[in-house]
Amino acid sequence: MQRQQREVFTRFGIPESAAEGLEVLGAPDVVFIGTPEVMKFDACRPMRRGIRLCRVFPHSLKPTTWAMQVLGRHATKNVIDVTEAQAASLINGGEFEIEAAVDDGFVLIRCKGFTVGVGLYKSPLLKSQIPRHRPVEE
Amino acid sequence: MSDGFERVEKVVRRVFERYEEFIPDFNEFVAALARPARKCLRVNTLKATREQVLEWTADLSPKPLPWFDLGFEIPDIYGLGKRLEHFLGLVYLQDASSMIPPLVLGPEPGERVLDIAAAPGSKTTQMSAMMANTGIVIANDVSSSRAKGLIGNVDRAGCLNVCVCRMDGIDLSRRVAGTCDRVLVDAPCTCEGTARKSLEVLTRCSAATSERFGRVQKGMIVAGFRSLRPGGVMVYSTCTIAPEENEAVVNHLIEREPGAEVLPVELAGFAMRPALTSWQGKQFAAPVELCRRIMPQDNDSEAFFLARIRKTDAAPAA
Repeated sequence: MQRQQREVFTRFGIPESAAEGLEVLGAPDVVFIGTPEVMKFDACRPMRRGIRLCRVFPHSLKPTTWAMQVLGRHATKNVIDVTEAQAASLINGGEFEIEAAVDDGFVLIRCKGFTVGVGLYKSPLLKSQIPRHRPVEE
Repeated sequence: MSDGFERVEKVVRRVFERYEEFIPDFNEFVAALARPARKCLRVNTLKATREQVLEWTADLSPKPLPWFDLGFEIPDIYGLGKRLEHFLGLVYLQDASSMIPPLVLGPEPGERVLDIAAAPGSKTTQMSAMMANTGIVIANDVSSSRAKGLIGNVDRAGCLNVCVCRMDGIDLSRRVAGTCDRVLVDAPCTCEGTARKSLEVLTRCSAATSERFGRVQKGMIVAGFRSLRPGGVMVYSTCTIAPEENEAVVNHLIEREPGAEVLPVELAGFAMRPALTSWQGKQFAAPVELCRRIMPQDNDSEAFFLARIRKTDAAPAA
């Protein structure tokens, strides 16, 4: 398991087994996760392999909404459950105050058992980190 | 019947009159193409079960498609793409007939699959789900903007087994020659069969345009075939009615590649018609008849063409 993958999995309590049969590939500023066949594909230089797991910054990394939608079902900590209306608001870039038993920092936003995406929590404020190019109806 | 419907019917009849000779129920065909398209969704099993999706979409009263347990017809209301379950990737909004090529191709977990003209990704993501996020789907599109759209849909659907490439399909096929278990050539076409979705497609329909597309499609079907390993299977599909883009293209492959074996196309519960044996004086090779035409009046769908081709074990290596 790569350092960045371990950091993401540890933050959300995702067991290593969630990535069984998958591989990660690190580029300088981004880490991808996908099947071994996808990671080893060398017939050309692809635009994309699998899904971006996280973006890497000099002193931190940011898990992506799309990877967390897949892996988030295994998360055991730093998850905030929201209503459908709250989820829609966050997807559209909103923020609101909410009391939650989580650590400050990146959290997973979950609605009706499904991971919606990534948020940034600084008690009691929850800010959306979800890409805004796919708005939903509120 | 409204004036608007009659006007649309008149336009459809004029554009497609050259097909009247091989469509015995031409009036029904015209009437079906003049009706608005049905909206459908597919359950994305990479993220949700059929039951979970039915719960999320209960207010839409989804009606199951009789030939695919993960496909549902839903009412055509504004904002389907702005619903939460769509954002979450639990569902994929997809034309009913567009769900068929992956079902006929039948990719299996762990396989190496090439989708040579993949954008926007409805069939790519369907195949990824059929393969349970294992193996590899090489999803290619020649257009940069379309490939970016493809990435967006792959992300939303949660596909970990998809590699998105932006290359000329023929160039890419040379690089993966002889290695793919399955290949989907859902070829760019005149899209005549999608007139129900947008009448705009009719403005570019003509025999000359179909001839032009046909030349490109002949290159793509040969390229797709050469990507197959011996024993591998390819599906060639279009959403057009023109024989120049359908039977003539498959006929070209058969004439050029002796190892190409046309297989029957079947999908239980879905009505399909045999392909043409000749068109405008040109006789096609006998196996071409095994290809199938999907006519809009038979299943209340778009028009489609499907060919299933196997590379025989005896075919020369690529």
